Amino acid sequence: MIDEKEGKIWAIGGGKGGTGKTFITSSIGTYLAKNRRRVVLIDVDIGGANLHSFLGINRPKKSLTNFFDMGTPLKNLAVKTGIGNLSLISGDIHSLSSDSIKFTQKLKLFRHIMKLNRQYVIIDLGGGSHNNTIDTFLIADKMIAVVEPEIIAVENMYHFIKNALFRKLRMSLKEYGFKEIIDHMWERREKYRIKNLRELIDCLKDSFSYIGDILDNEISDFTIYLILNKIRSSQDIFIGSSLKSILLKYLGINAKFVGYIEYDDSIWRSVRERRPFMLNYSLSRSAKEIEAFTENLIQGKELKLMRS
Amino acid sequence: MSRKENKKYFEILELSADASTLEIKSSYLRLRKLYSTDSIAISPIADEFSEKSRREILRQIDEAYAKLMVMLKDEQRKSKYHHKSLDSGKVSKREEKEEELKFSGQVLRQIRKKMGIHLYEVALDTKIRIELLNEIELEKFNSLPHEAYLRGHISNYAKYLSLDSEKVADDYMERYCAWKGGDKEEPE
Repeated sequence: MIDEKEGKIWAIGGGKGGTGKTFITSSIGTYLAKNRRRVVLIDVDIGGANLHSFLGINRPKKSLTNFFDMGTPLKNLAVKTGIGNLSLISGDIHSLSSDSIKFTQKLKLFRHIMKLNRQYVIIDLGGGSHNNTIDTFLIADKMIAVVEPEIIAVENMYHFIKNALFRKLRMSLKEYGFKEIIDHMWERREKYRIKNLRELIDCLKDSFSYIGDILDNEISDFTIYLILNKIRSSQDIFIGSSLKSILLKYLGINAKFVGYIEYDDSIWRSVRERRPFMLNYSLSRSAKEIEAFTENLIQGKELKLMRS
Repeated sequence: MSRKENKKYFEILELSADASTLEIKSSYLRLRKLYSTDSIAISPIADEFSEKSRREILRQIDEAYAKLMVMLKDEQRKSKYHHKSLDSGKVSKREEKEEELKFSGQVLRQIRKKMGIHLYEVALDTKIRIELLNEIELEKFNSLPHEAYLRGHISNYAKYLSLDSEKVADDYMERYCAWKGGDKEEPE
């Protein structure tokens, strides 16, 4: 199943903090490493880089700060996690949050990430919709959004994805020299009676057919993988497929709902004990759910909706 | 109308043109439920989701479903005709299967699960007690109500799953009567 040569970058974001992105990053990483894939995790969480504690290790001494301030190569920042095949590059409070990171530094980081010699590079973005966060999300081969069945999380996730799509479209139009058009129309959206991104896209397509093809291409390539965390009833699962429908109808985005994790106290206990959940509670229902959606992610498949 | 000409309706139900009858039905039910209730999935687009647009979306979903059902009936008729006259192998196997299918409690349960519907959702919408629904699916014939009532319940449940309620009720009652005829050895 695995293409040994090609590196795969997965980014895990989703807008709201506290939905379980870091936990999910650590669990996916552990599962892949346990199944003999070479994995590096990168923590670029703004709110507080704490991926190390989910893996049960101390905060690494070196972090992305060394990369930005001293130019230490990214591969030299990877530390062992105690789990075979799994290493970690730690972020810190400065990493991607501040505007002080120059554009060129950001591009350099992306270049280094893409050159990392691992089968899987998994990036924990943390919360927020900062441009740097979104740009990091966009470099991934698989863009993964974590959401919980709760209004604020759902709304933040939607806006995060919408912003990501907008930036992506803007970037590709820029490549073709059309960036001004999209900015121009959006700034004068009242005049053009544009209410939202979808109408902006439709309006651009109607007005400029050559732009329409570029946009169609970009949008059809833009796939979001949804993970629903902390569900409390089987009714909640329905929210995953509903979000997929809403993203398609209102943004034209193809989303794949790959799986969910039931609300589980043992996850909370495991985090408190500072031990990797997938090793500590490998037989739990949640661990099986994580395995299932990680397999779906690898194969690009959706969750089979079969409820009991 | 062929499947190709009905592409638009498949798209409204978020399906590809080779979708099965079951997929069409389950997608229809799911989307109808999403847009007719106040799901939190709607909240990000709440400002552009007026009552008017809700009605319009639901109308489109209903229309798509109705058109596709007509198309399926058409396909079925054609495949029957082919069967008789040409014995053509080009009949939709899926449709054939559905027609030959004998409904039982187990089959109903399978269909419901495939549609991703929970038993309590059926109970809420059909006003049939959840315990009774469970007994119907498990064919616990000795706990089921009198035939006259039972038939009504089966038929309602079948309608809820967008199945041919007559056929489902006939099939199910056949099984029920077979049990009743030979129930001498029932322990209770």
